[in-house]
Amino acid sequence: MTDITTGAPAGRARGGSASLKGAGLLALGIAAALAAGFGLGGDPFLLNLAGYTCGFAIFALSVNVMLGGLGEVPLGHCMFYGIGAYAPAMAMNHAGLPYEAGAVIGMVVAALIAAPIGWLTLHLTGAYFSIVSWGLSGVAMVTALNLDVTGGPLGLFGFSRLAVGPFDLSRPQTYFFVAAAILLAVLVVLYHIRGSRFGRAMEAIRQGPHLARSLGIDVFRERLKALVLSAPIAALAGALSLPYTQIVTPEVMSVLRTVDALLAALIGGVGLIFGPAVGAVIFTILPQFLDLDPNVKVLVFSLLIILVMVAAPGGLHQLWKAAAARLSHARREDAP
Amino acid sequence: MTGWAVEAAGVEKRYGGVTALKGVDLRIPEGAIHGLIGPNGAGKSTLFDILCGITKPSGGRVSVLGMDVAALPAHHVARRGVGRTFQRTATFRDATVRENLLFASYGRMRHSVLQRMARARAWREDMAAFETRADAVLETCGLAPLSDQPAAALAYGTQRRLAVAVMLMNDPKILFLDEPVAGMNDAETAEFIALVRDIARGRTIVIVEHDMAAIGALCSEVLVMVDGAQVVSDTPERALAHPDVVAAYLGTDADD
Repeated sequence: MTDITTGAPAGRARGGSASLKGAGLLALGIAAALAAGFGLGGDPFLLNLAGYTCGFAIFALSVNVMLGGLGEVPLGHCMFYGIGAYAPAMAMNHAGLPYEAGAVIGMVVAALIAAPIGWLTLHLTGAYFSIVSWGLSGVAMVTALNLDVTGGPLGLFGFSRLAVGPFDLSRPQTYFFVAAAILLAVLVVLYHIRGSRFGRAMEAIRQGPHLARSLGIDVFRERLKALVLSAPIAALAGALSLPYTQIVTPEVMSVLRTVDALLAALIGGVGLIFGPAVGAVIFTILPQFLDLDPNVKVLVFSLLIILVMVAAPGGLHQLWKAAAARLSHARREDAP
Repeated sequence: MTGWAVEAAGVEKRYGGVTALKGVDLRIPEGAIHGLIGPNGAGKSTLFDILCGITKPSGGRVSVLGMDVAALPAHHVARRGVGRTFQRTATFRDATVRENLLFASYGRMRHSVLQRMARARAWREDMAAFETRADAVLETCGLAPLSDQPAAALAYGTQRRLAVAVMLMNDPKILFLDEPVAGMNDAETAEFIALVRDIARGRTIVIVEHDMAAIGALCSEVLVMVDGAQVVSDTPERALAHPDVVAAYLGTDADD
C-alpha cells in the first residue's frame, strides 16, 4: 500500500513515522545526489548524462501524475516536454532572454495550454483519452516542424548561455547538481500533494470515479487540476534537457519520449512517489553501462517490462517489499 | 424544509425509444426508512440514480432535501447531504479501511497543498477532525479492529459495512442503499439490519432490496415498482399482499 495516509496530526504515531520516513528518504536522495555528483567527478560525459537523467526523471514523475495518480496513459505528454524545451531555446535565440526566464515561460505556457486541452480531452477516459492526447501532440510536432520561430525541421541550437542564476549549466557537475536539486524539490512537492486533500481526491477518482463523485468530489475538475499540475513539471523537464542535448528539434515531441517515461514509471512503480525517478535512472544509466545499441535497447527494455509486469506488476519496489515481508515473516517464525 | 425528505411527482425517464420510468410519484417523510422494491428491470435503479442526481429525468419534478436535484451536478447533490452506496463498486478496493474513510472526508476538509506542506493549522485541524470522526464511524460500523486492513481483503458483508462507513463520514441527511444485503449470509444480514437501525437516527434512509425479510424488518413503507411504474405504496406486509404485486413477482404472463 502507498503512503496516502501521510500525516495524522502531530502526537499521533502514524503521522510522526510517515513524516520521519519522508525526511529520511529526502536525506537519502540528497546523499545519493552528492555521492553521484562527486563520484562521477572526473567524467564530464557521465555527469552530463546524469543531469539529463534527472530531467528525464522529472518528466517520468510528471507522466506518473496522470498514470499513477489518475490511472490514465497520457501519450501526448511529450507535447508539454517539447514546449518546455522550445521555450528557453526560443527565448534565448529570438528574444535575447536568459535561459531561466525561458524555462519559466515554458512552464506557464504548458499550464495555460494544458487547461483547454484538458477541458476538451478529460471527459474521455482510458484508450480514448490516450489516443486523443497522442493526436494533439502530433499536431504540436507538425506545428514545430513548419514554423520559422521553432527553426523548422532543423530546430534551434547555438544557445548563448545556459545558466540558472550563478550556476553555469555548461559545467557538467553544476548541471547535474542543479538538475538533481530540482528533481528532489519536485519529489518533495509531489509527496505533499499526495498527502493533501487534492492528492487523495485523485487517488479516490483513480480507484472509483463513481464512488468519488457520490462523495462530493468534482471528478472532472480534479482530473483537470492533475493535468494542469503535471504539464509545467513536464515543461521543466524539457528545459532541463537543453544543456545535454544542446539542440531542440521537433523530435522532442515524439510519442516515443512519453513511452520511455511510461516505461520508466512502470519499472520503478507507479504507486510510489519516487518510483518513476528510480525507473528513469535504471532506464538511462543501464543502457549506457551495458553499451547497448538503441535497437537492442528497445528489445532489452521490452523484455524487462514484460518481466516486471509478470513478476511485480506494481513495479520493481514490489520485489523489495516482498523480500522484506518474507524476511520479517521468517524472523517471526524463528522466534520461540 | 417541508417535512418531506423526498418529493417526486410524475418522474419520467426515456432512453431513446425505451421508457424506463413512466411517471412515478414518491414521497418519503424525513427520518423514515423507506423501501423500493420490484422485479429486475422495474426501474428501481434508474429512480435511485435520479434521486441522487446522477441521472437526469426526462420529465416530472424531483426534490430531495428541498433541492431540485435534476438541476444540480451529482457532486453538488452529494455535498449537500445525499449519500448512496452502490451494488458493486462500493469501496476503494486498493486502499485500507482507514484510507477509504480519508478519501471520503474530502468534502469536510479545507486545506490546500501549501498548507499541507507547511503543516499549517488548517491541515492539522482537518486531520484532527478526521481522526475523531473516523474513530466514531469505525466504532459504529464495527470496523475499528480492521482499520488497517486492505478493503479488498475484507469479507463480503464487511465490505458492505465499509461502504456505509464511507458514506457516514459525510454525515448524509439522506442515505440511499442499493441492494445492501444482496449476497450476504443470514448472520451478516442480521448484523447489517442492526447497523441500519443504528444509523437511521436523525436521517432518512431509502433501500432498494430484493431481500423481503430485510425490507420487512427495516421499512415503515415500501414503494413497489413494476415496468417503470408504481404499483402500490404501503407498509411492507400490505404491499406484498397486494394482488398486482403478487402477480408481478410470481408472473402471470410467461412471455414477459
